[in-house]
Amino acid sequence: MKWLIFAWKNVMRNRRRSLTAMLITAFGSAAVLASGGFALFTYESLEEMTARDTGHVVVAHARGFEGDEDVPLQHGLADATALAARFAALPGVRAVAPRVQFSGLISNGDKSAVFVGSGVVPEIDFRLRGPQMSFLAGQPPASKAPAPEVVIGNELARLMKAKVGTLLTLLATTTEGNLNAVDVIVSGIASVGVPEIDKRLVLADLASVQKLLLSDKVGTLSIYLKETADTELVAGRVRESQPGLTVKTWRDLAVFYQAVRALYNRIFGILGVIMICIVLFAMVNTLGMAVVERTREIGTLRAIGTLPGEIVRNFVFEGMAIGAAGAVAGMLLAGAATVALLFAGAEMPPPPGRSVGYPLLLSFSPTLYGAVTLMVIALAAGAAWLVSRRAANKPVTEALAHV
Amino acid sequence: MSMAQATVSLGGLRKSYRVGESSVEALKGVSLAVAAGEMVALTGPSGSGKSTLLNLCGLIDTPDAGSRELCGKVLDGLDEIRLTQLRREKVGFIFQGFNLVPVMTAYDNVEYPLLLLGVALEERRRRVAEALHRVGLDALARRLPDALSGGQRQRVAIARALIKAPALVIADEPTANLDSATARQIVDLLHELARERSASVVVATHDERMSSHCDRVLHLIDGELQ
Ligand SMILES: Nc1ncnc2c1ncn2[C@@H]1O[C@H](COP(=O)(O)OP(=O)(O)O)[C@@H](O)[C@H]1O
Ligand SMILES: [Mg+2]
Repeated sequence: MKWLIFAWKNVMRNRRRSLTAMLITAFGSAAVLASGGFALFTYESLEEMTARDTGHVVVAHARGFEGDEDVPLQHGLADATALAARFAALPGVRAVAPRVQFSGLISNGDKSAVFVGSGVVPEIDFRLRGPQMSFLAGQPPASKAPAPEVVIGNELARLMKAKVGTLLTLLATTTEGNLNAVDVIVSGIASVGVPEIDKRLVLADLASVQKLLLSDKVGTLSIYLKETADTELVAGRVRESQPGLTVKTWRDLAVFYQAVRALYNRIFGILGVIMICIVLFAMVNTLGMAVVERTREIGTLRAIGTLPGEIVRNFVFEGMAIGAAGAVAGMLLAGAATVALLFAGAEMPPPPGRSVGYPLLLSFSPTLYGAVTLMVIALAAGAAWLVSRRAANKPVTEALAHV
Repeated sequence: MSMAQATVSLGGLRKSYRVGESSVEALKGVSLAVAAGEMVALTGPSGSGKSTLLNLCGLIDTPDAGSRELCGKVLDGLDEIRLTQLRREKVGFIFQGFNLVPVMTAYDNVEYPLLLLGVALEERRRRVAEALHRVGLDALARRLPDALSGGQRQRVAIARALIKAPALVIADEPTANLDSATARQIVDLLHELARERSASVVVATHDERMSSHCDRVLHLIDGELQ
């Protein structure tokens, strides 16, 4: 305790210099905490977004993910209803959404365009997607509508000059290899925020799609969970009970999430390394000056029986005190920024390939805060050890003669 | 004087310093024994080797040749850690420039050697209070060195040197930075306290009064005892 007080008194000896080192440390750790918080928030949002899109666990025929079918639904699930009921009964499962991916041409009579569509159970699907898909007009298709209804992407709607209520025709290849067509009414216009997807997006009622494709199979079963954290657990259970099927998690299917994560980890990793260098430099500088100034004092303390190791220890305590104070200030700064952004409503610009931005928010992670604090203190201690070792081991007479 | 009684005994100490190309021989074979409780004054012109001898005596420097014993323990070949531990237990220092730790109060400065020795809090309190009382600084215990006069600082230094009841006190011109009235008080105080605690003292000095208090006065010229 006495030694800690002694260290603190020495820290306060040159207030301005210690304060500078403390502030540099504070801003450095705040920058790491804020950028780390931003990365974590982005990961969490993307996790949520991806899981809402694909479902947490996706089950398909053994070859269902290979994309090499000769005709649509060649590798579809025949007994989908029974399977869905079984998965729905697993603990932690919120809902099971059967889906059929299909593609073809969409036409308004004057011109046609390629579409990439999904046949879904509207009552289940649109509830689960949540904010992931925003409706610009109209509403989800009704499954019992007199004429089949579809939701189309806003870009596709522009291309087709379609509004809610417009009559369009879908053309697709059936499971038998023939062309089939169905007239549909636009019930809604939506956007997922990615123009490339919105240009081709068609969401139709599952039964209508099965009728178009002349099949009663479904392509995949998307299992939605109550907790994202249960993903691996449920995926494992499904794999166990259905060894003949292929089971993937949202993580396997989240190409964008994985890419962003890899990129951010690298960017913020480099930022972290830069911060480490800056903090280390500030500490070495501050403590180095202190050591030089106090060389004669070190000589005095050595003469009256202080071991070199004890001199070094005192400087290490001093460094740790500055580091800890800086880390605490950094945490307060980062915490304040996190809270301020909650109220500021700031927006990030749209990421590449997207048409909408997302809220600029920072996640608070106790693990991150703890790790950064420990690292800053360790860095400060290391810097103190580095700069005081030589002076502490100087011959006493030499240290005493220092002016 | 038999070796057994000696606090310090030095035999044939040599020490030279390199100065550029040439080397200066500061001590040319000095032998000296200081008995327990004995006060020895070291006089001689500036540059005659007094500080060099005190540094060797106080274990903060090592000789080029010769042998040293402290309290019957042979020092030749001991490493810096062992020498530091011996200084911690047995040697008190009083410097010409006082050399107090500026961030520590008078109390903390005096307490420091006891902290190094791991003395328990209660005993530390008692001994520091007593030591400060003996040097007449009870009222100034909470002052930082900056807020003390030169004489008061040297009193703190004397208390710091003697608090652990060392076998040996090394004092290198302890009154050189003080006016004559203050110097006189410091000389008397050092003499009185060293006697009281039966510490051996080796003091380099130009001060007549100091020499007159000592049991022996040695004269050093050009690195040789006269
Ligand atoms: N660190 C040193 N480097 C070089 N020469 C030194 C050093 N210390 C002392 N000397 C030389 O050694 C001689 C004795 O010095 P010192 O012991 O300080 O004498 P005194 O204390 O009697 O004035 C002097 O000539 C001095 O110049
Ligand atoms: Mg001298």
